[in-house]
Amino acid sequence: MKKIMTLGTETDDELLMRMRSGDEPAFVTLYRRRQAAIYRFALHMSGSVTAAEDITQEVFLALIRDECGFDPERGTLSGYLFGIARKLVLRYLERGRSDVALDVEGESSAWPELAVNDDPLLDLTHREGIEALRRAVSALPRRYREVVVLCDLEEVDYAAAASILGCPIGTVRSRLHRARALLLEKLHQERNFRPAMGAWKPLRCLT
Amino acid sequence: MEAAKVFDMNCQEFWNTMPELGRHGDHSGHLRECIACAALWERQRSLTAGLRTAASEWSYLQAPARVEARLTAAFRSHAGLAHGREIARPWHVWGPVAAWAAAAAALVLLAMFLMSGGQPQLPRRSAPGTIELAAAQAVPDFGVSGDSPYGDDDFIPLPNAAGIAPNEDVNLVRVEVPRSAMIELGFAVSAERASEPVEAEVVLGADGLARAVRFLDE
Repeated sequence: MKKIMTLGTETDDELLMRMRSGDEPAFVTLYRRRQAAIYRFALHMSGSVTAAEDITQEVFLALIRDECGFDPERGTLSGYLFGIARKLVLRYLERGRSDVALDVEGESSAWPELAVNDDPLLDLTHREGIEALRRAVSALPRRYREVVVLCDLEEVDYAAAASILGCPIGTVRSRLHRARALLLEKLHQERNFRPAMGAWKPLRCLT
Repeated sequence: MEAAKVFDMNCQEFWNTMPELGRHGDHSGHLRECIACAALWERQRSLTAGLRTAASEWSYLQAPARVEARLTAAFRSHAGLAHGREIARPWHVWGPVAAWAAAAAALVLLAMFLMSGGQPQLPRRSAPGTIELAAAQAVPDFGVSGDSPYGDDDFIPLPNAAGIAPNEDVNLVRVEVPRSAMIELGFAVSAERASEPVEAEVVLGADGLARAVRFLDE
């Protein structure tokens, strides 16, 4: 227990060094520290629980194999892991698995059951709002979706996002600006057309 | 006309250097002068606040525990291969080791299996791609044919290992082992080839214990 707490205060780079020398607790600590963000990124980007699980597994397998040669001088471990996850997501999307209408009802099990509020109406409004946001993010074109997921959902700073996406920081800013405008537009449309939205199923955009 | 041009430039400049919403910083100069940007800025701030709320609702989402179990097994295999020399054992201890390992965690059995070559192995780090791990469902020919409980007649049950239960979520780990490891499972291996590496796939049960093995290049 004491050892785990000690490991929990170590930096990613320190844990990685220990992991590379065969220290299993270091690997487990590193995994537990970083896996959730990678999983959520993959889930938001792919829209698939199965793909998110596979991608998370592949990201950390690559770390175990030390295939991509992480260099602390060139960025953070977190950014490196997001970078691998992004490549795997792109590969998944390019394989065309999601080139079909996304069945929102079928995929809803991928998303959290929100805590029940005392006020059912308030709770419903809250749930609807969160769900509307999720749909709007899912329907964004890929290059806008990834900046929103990284910067707004996972709170990665612009410089780190630029490194993960392999683009200038200005591009992150402009994509984020455009992405938010698209999101506001989608949410506005949804609010206006909600009564006729019974079988609404957004198409996954692959651009 | 001139004023409008300057105004547009200022707006463009503002969004080109867009500060990170929700973070502190003095960027109120342009927003005080430009109603349109101020309105858009406020809408984006509200949207970002909504996204952060949604993110906190989703914050408990994480990979299932089975991913950690698979990765830990893979890590043990990898670490075992990388440190093979330090824990190499002579052949005559293979039997007791295998019996113990069947009850031990995850790939300890596999590690002992790997390390029990007749001749000491040179220390080596496994090459990229030496270990592969996949859910059984991802392996096309696995678990769909034959009478073997492992779904493929090539798999050989390990001594003292439990069987695979129906619908059990099994995993497959690909490793490289000394060819001499095949002898204990009934394969004929010449002395001169005993130290050569051979690729093998090991079936792990849902509990992470090794159940069966098959050699890919006999």
